[in-house]
Amino acid sequence: MITLLRFAGLGLALVVALLFAVFVGDQGPWYFAWAVGTVMIILVAAAGGVLFDAQADASVSEGEF
Amino acid sequence: MDLINPTVVDLSRFQFALTALYHFMFVPLTLGLTFMLAAMETVYVVTGKQVYKDMTLFWGKLFGINFALGVATGLTMEFEFGTNWSMYSRFFGDMFGTPLAIEGLMAFFMESTFVGLMFFGWDRLSKPAHLAITYLVALGSNLSALWILVANASMNMPNGAHFDPETLRMTFDSFVGVVFNPDAQAKFVHTSVAGYVAASLFVMGISAFYLLRQQHREFAARSFRMAALFGIFSTVAVITLGDVLGRLDYEHQPTKIAAIEGLWHTSKPPYEPWIIAALPNDEKQESSFEIGVPFVLTPLITHSFNTPITGMIELEDAAAPRIASGITAVSALRRYEENHQAADLEEFRAHQNDMGYGLLATRHAPGQDVTAIAPEQLQSVIEQTKPDILPNVFVTFWSFRLMVFLGVFFFVLFAMASYLSLKNQLERNPLFLKLCMWSIPLPVLATEFGWITAEAGRQPWTVFDRLPTFMSASTHSVSYMLFSLAGFTVLYSIFIAVELYLMFKFARLGPEAHGPHEDADPAHLSVVAH
Repeated sequence: MITLLRFAGLGLALVVALLFAVFVGDQGPWYFAWAVGTVMIILVAAAGGVLFDAQADASVSEGEF
Repeated sequence: MDLINPTVVDLSRFQFALTALYHFMFVPLTLGLTFMLAAMETVYVVTGKQVYKDMTLFWGKLFGINFALGVATGLTMEFEFGTNWSMYSRFFGDMFGTPLAIEGLMAFFMESTFVGLMFFGWDRLSKPAHLAITYLVALGSNLSALWILVANASMNMPNGAHFDPETLRMTFDSFVGVVFNPDAQAKFVHTSVAGYVAASLFVMGISAFYLLRQQHREFAARSFRMAALFGIFSTVAVITLGDVLGRLDYEHQPTKIAAIEGLWHTSKPPYEPWIIAALPNDEKQESSFEIGVPFVLTPLITHSFNTPITGMIELEDAAAPRIASGITAVSALRRYEENHQAADLEEFRAHQNDMGYGLLATRHAPGQDVTAIAPEQLQSVIEQTKPDILPNVFVTFWSFRLMVFLGVFFFVLFAMASYLSLKNQLERNPLFLKLCMWSIPLPVLATEFGWITAEAGRQPWTVFDRLPTFMSASTHSVSYMLFSLAGFTVLYSIFIAVELYLMFKFARLGPEAHGPHEDADPAHLSVVAH
């Protein structure tokens, strides 16, 4: 039951996101670009942090072997 | 009719420019730093590494200082519309008031509430809930800016409103028209992302300071990496979105775009150069010492290779019939105010799109009354009014160029920073780290130049094509304006001094570790110095 509710909730979120994208993409394309672009910039920055950790771990491993 | 004392108008303009520019020293950092905090906390929640929580807490502390002072400096500006720009507020209050009221609700309820939860909720909220709050702080601060820029865009492109001859005011027609105004969209995205650039360089510069001093290296190297990547994408976006704004100005504010480009005469495509440097002379209406890059201007502005761009002299000539039509509109409106005759209203409606140009001619009309212009005087009044349609070319031209030059510098700086950080070669380049550190204030300067371009370029209007600036101010005395100007200058300078003192103090103190680091082994740091 919980899985079903979670699925329904995520499905609803998807529908809302699609409606948002259609409406804002049509009425305010630059607002839409800002929303998508900001998320992308955050994800790239976050990925940079994670990559740093991966490089640090690799560097330690190289030192060990 | 007596016009407002020109000295009072100039002092009102200077006071608003001063308070707005002071306020805008704080705003970009708030806009960008909130999303950077969200990025850092996202990594903390996903990886569970303590260092990312330390990063969120430390940069959050600097954000808090900036946020508090930013709110304090912004408060006075909303009141200035009523105190110093009462004629403008009367004419345009319906349009301007709505987004400003929403901004107040956003700033004081949504944003402030979530800021409180973000600072004091670390031990009271789950990790995902706190992360959601941080994202809401970022969204709230940027949505606050959105409403200010929606209001500003209405002044540049008054969509969703019409002039009501019964009330002599602009009347609000369409909320959607106001919010989705193309100028609001372009201005918001350009300004918001410019804030991301400012925040990126702020974080990168302070991190460079730690790396140079060999302090907090684990913290600083990660902060630098995230800021560099945040910054390079933001810089590309801010340049792209600036082009959108320029395109809109080309279509809707041709005098602004001609002044920005120092284009006195209509361009000759495709050869027309983009002028890198020149000395525009507003009096002589010509530029000297021009240095330009040929074949660049036409595609840059028109996105084509064969469309001419109208020059300022030709725009002046094209304004002559609008000034004549505007004088007819204002005269008909005055008669309609007195007699309420349908014929006068009909005549006004036939010429109402040019009403602003009639108001612009008021300064040169006999007794400053356009109804008193005799037929033989009309041409003389039109000729005197024509140059008034242009903004100050020197200021608009150079503020735009300084912004653009800085934007190109940021692109190169962030590209190098991203490369060196990804290659783990930062500490081999101390000169580059020093350059990053000394560049911290430059994005704030660039945004200030951007505002000067936008606002000086809109002149001589407060509401473009509708209401001249010289008719928008309040009828204060010169001494009142000087006194309040001096007061604001002193007060805001104190705010800046406090901000700088606190920022330097806490930046020097550095981050505090709030828990054990899983990877506190110094061997990890070899990645920075490789």
